[in-house]
Amino acid sequence: MKRALSAINGNIQLKIGTILIALLVLVALLAPLLATHDPYVLGDELTAPPGAKHLLGTDGLGRDVYSMLVYGARTSLLIGIVAAVISGVIGTLLGGIAGFYRGSVDRTLTEVNNIFLIMPTFFLILLVVAMFGSSMLNVMLIIGLTSWVGNARLMRAQAMSLRERTFVLGAVAIGESKRQILFKHIIPNGIFPIIANTTMNISGAILTEASLSFLGLGDPNVISWGQIVFNGRSYLTSGWWISTFSGLTIVVTVLAFYMIGDGLNRVLSPKLRNNN
Amino acid sequence: MGRYIGKRILTGALTVLAAIVLSFLLIHLAPGDPASILSGMDSPSPEMEEALRVKYGLDQPLLSQLWTYLKNLAQGDLGESISNSRPVAELIAERLGPTLLLSLTTAVLSLLLGTALGIYCARRAGSKLDAAMNGVSYLFDSMPGFWLGMMLILIFASSLKILPTAGMVDLRGGYTGFAHYMDVLKHLVLPGLTLTLISTPYFFRIARSSVIQVMSEDFITTLRATGMSESRIFNKYVFKNAILPTVTVFGITLAYIFTGVAVIEIVFSWPGMGSFMLKAIGNRDYPLLMGIYLILSISVAVCMIVVDVIYAFIDPRIRYS
Repeated sequence: MKRALSAINGNIQLKIGTILIALLVLVALLAPLLATHDPYVLGDELTAPPGAKHLLGTDGLGRDVYSMLVYGARTSLLIGIVAAVISGVIGTLLGGIAGFYRGSVDRTLTEVNNIFLIMPTFFLILLVVAMFGSSMLNVMLIIGLTSWVGNARLMRAQAMSLRERTFVLGAVAIGESKRQILFKHIIPNGIFPIIANTTMNISGAILTEASLSFLGLGDPNVISWGQIVFNGRSYLTSGWWISTFSGLTIVVTVLAFYMIGDGLNRVLSPKLRNNN
Repeated sequence: MGRYIGKRILTGALTVLAAIVLSFLLIHLAPGDPASILSGMDSPSPEMEEALRVKYGLDQPLLSQLWTYLKNLAQGDLGESISNSRPVAELIAERLGPTLLLSLTTAVLSLLLGTALGIYCARRAGSKLDAAMNGVSYLFDSMPGFWLGMMLILIFASSLKILPTAGMVDLRGGYTGFAHYMDVLKHLVLPGLTLTLISTPYFFRIARSSVIQVMSEDFITTLRATGMSESRIFNKYVFKNAILPTVTVFGITLAYIFTGVAVIEIVFSWPGMGSFMLKAIGNRDYPLLMGIYLILSISVAVCMIVVDVIYAFIDPRIRYS
């Protein structure tokens, strides 16, 4: 724990990123306490500019923008983290299997990897959400199912190098089954770059969800920042605060996760550390 | 080199095939039966059902349905748009031009800008400028394209009124010839700027890290020891080696740009496939949506193959193998 804290302190990006995300998690957890109004209630003052009563103004239906942003943190965090974890799990499994077993399994999985790399997955996500419905679960699943490519690549490289290490060869000599080796030795030792990459995937997932909401394909029952930007579009000149502030929160959140991911990369990888 | 190119073409072809199969599976896996999805009606009339059954072979086993689907595609038949009652292929052909104009212009611009900045910063790695540029690159990477577009509209079009707010041409202008090109160019600035700003950071990072990596190699140290000047080392040795990853990545970034362009088109009402897509989503016009998805997948695959072939000619390790 102490080592983790000193590592975070030593790296400016990690420090800022962790602080921002900690703040964000707090906001998401304490939303009912921090919000000034009920974000779902349609108020009387339509498109009111930021002021004393409504900190960041109201939208076209009289809802308080600040409160909506506060509650929206829950949606974005939840979708971002779950989708990234799904993609992390899939990527680790597929990459680990490909890199460890090699041979035709590797060739097939690498080809699948290349296909998903080229394919414009955003449109696939669009199609699926349009056809299967835009519930939060669908969004999380489909984003997770299409963004595992980077993780798989990383895990594969790790697996390929780890399988030659002495302790793995030793495990083979003792007679451990390949599956045991994969799950006991390869994956736990190769997981670190995946963790950094998964943090960046959280950013990607939040951006994708925001884009989906902007196109009207987000979950209509929950408040999401992308949805607020979408609602603010009709009021761009008369009520610029609606889209501006919601977009800014997206930028800050995505940036914070990027910084954590980048900081983790630098801390965990000696090669990058020298370029600091 | 032939083998390399052959492999890349195979991957591209497989990607297109995967997109086709996925589209096909979606029609059949989605809630609701294929007939209602393809016709857009909740309970299609018997004549409509019969017509669909004949065309798509809906009563046959899945594999032969897939074969029929592929045969239709090979003849350029992407189905009929529900909301427009015209063939999907026709609708897309009308809109492909503007989309390609926006995305390819942006791709080239962000490649050049990102690589130039990346190289410049890599040579001054660790300096304040480098740190600042890194920060700026992260900032733009974190911005949703649609939000940046809206902010730019707010600043340049609404407040300063120096650039048009939307569209590709001035509808009241009726320009022809050179004036028409200038009009399109004027309208291209904001959407192009938006897309370029969010795509450049990727190239910037790749170019920068690749130059830093090459400059730290042993053979560069050797060249320095021989007394060669820094600029000659850079121009003759570092540049060519460092540029390779950028070319490789260009193809993948194109996929990313094609994704971003759709949303940007919607924000700026650019008459390309993206804005079309929004209407299609609203109308649940699945044949049109799938057609767009397919065409975009094919476009990306084709661009990737072209880029990979160029790469095969540039990289001597592949050219002479």
